[in-house]
Amino acid sequence: MNDSSKKGFDSDIRSLLKNQHKRVYSICRLFTHNYKEHQNLFIDVIAAASQNIRARKNNGDKQTLLLRACINMAALHSITQELGPAKDRTLQFKSPDYQRSMTRFRESVGEASDYEKFRLFLEFEKMPAGELTHLTGLPLPGRAAGKKKEKESLLPIPRKPFNFIPYLKEKLVWS
Amino acid sequence: MELKKLQEYWDSFPEVSMEERPVLSSDLEKIVVKNPLSDAFYLRRKLLLRIIVLSVLWLLNSWQLRHQWKTDGNDLYPVVALFGLLTYSIYFHVRLLLFADYPTLLSLPLVNFLGKLETVLDKYILSFKYISGLTGFYGLGLIEYLLSLWNTRAYNSLSENNWYKWLILIFICISVDILLLHTIVPKYRKLLISVQKYKEGIQAKAQNK
Repeated sequence: MNDSSKKGFDSDIRSLLKNQHKRVYSICRLFTHNYKEHQNLFIDVIAAASQNIRARKNNGDKQTLLLRACINMAALHSITQELGPAKDRTLQFKSPDYQRSMTRFRESVGEASDYEKFRLFLEFEKMPAGELTHLTGLPLPGRAAGKKKEKESLLPIPRKPFNFIPYLKEKLVWS
Repeated sequence: MELKKLQEYWDSFPEVSMEERPVLSSDLEKIVVKNPLSDAFYLRRKLLLRIIVLSVLWLLNSWQLRHQWKTDGNDLYPVVALFGLLTYSIYFHVRLLLFADYPTLLSLPLVNFLGKLETVLDKYILSFKYISGLTGFYGLGLIEYLLSLWNTRAYNSLSENNWYKWLILIFICISVDILLLHTIVPKYRKLLISVQKYKEGIQAKAQNK
């Protein structure tokens, strides 16, 4: 890639990220509790999206790569938060308007799991339901239940395990 | 109805605030080149450093093996064993680095991404076994060198007895392995368990919906 096309590609990424930054803020809204966490996750998602687009410049839809960066970084954020020491999970934002909106929104959502948050994120971003599987690799809600039943019906009926040497097993091996 | 209400809340979020401010070009310039993964998940630098160190040791060991082979030296078997271990360790680390493929890792769907992260962490934990093994060989070399400086008779006695050498080597390997298991490995194991738990949790949620 020559210099001019590389510059063009870089400016393409920048303009895409500038146009789509509200989408990134949306995922931060669902997964963070304070201003610092919010800004850190925002920076990480933008960096991840940029890396994804650079690495797959010839193949891959940029929107998909951006959304995958949002979801994967949010998941990593949740894992990291769980690993660290217990923190104050109350909402603390600088802007009073934002704090009010966040409090009202969180009260309405309640204690949602990350899977539900991802679904909400896609719903709010007006993404079609089928995108969930494409972005996360998880089955769609309706299909998951159907598949589970299908799998259960295909499974052989479990047989009671035959105990070959009951006396030895109970008296010698496990005691 | 509930979702409609939530959507209304979502849409009514303040447009311009400290949190919602537009991205400045100067900020973006710095952000786009930043590594998004934290040190705990980003093992590329550690793997590269290990590959470089192992390659240097491999070259030194090849020269030593050639010398032992030509002179039919006392240490031929340990040097051959070390050569095998170094070769496999380099192969293991290069394979892990290629498998992890950090530039494209975050562009995978969530389940595949977590699965890959899990495998990389699991193999990285396993790689500490090779480090213990290599430390055993180099630890034995160091003991022999110190003995040669301190007491020549003790050194001669040790270098002529292969049984003692292998026993010392095994003792060092196991000791280092136990040391690593209680110092560095728990951090990565905790991380691995968290990733596994998260992946299983989210899959279970999706199945139950």
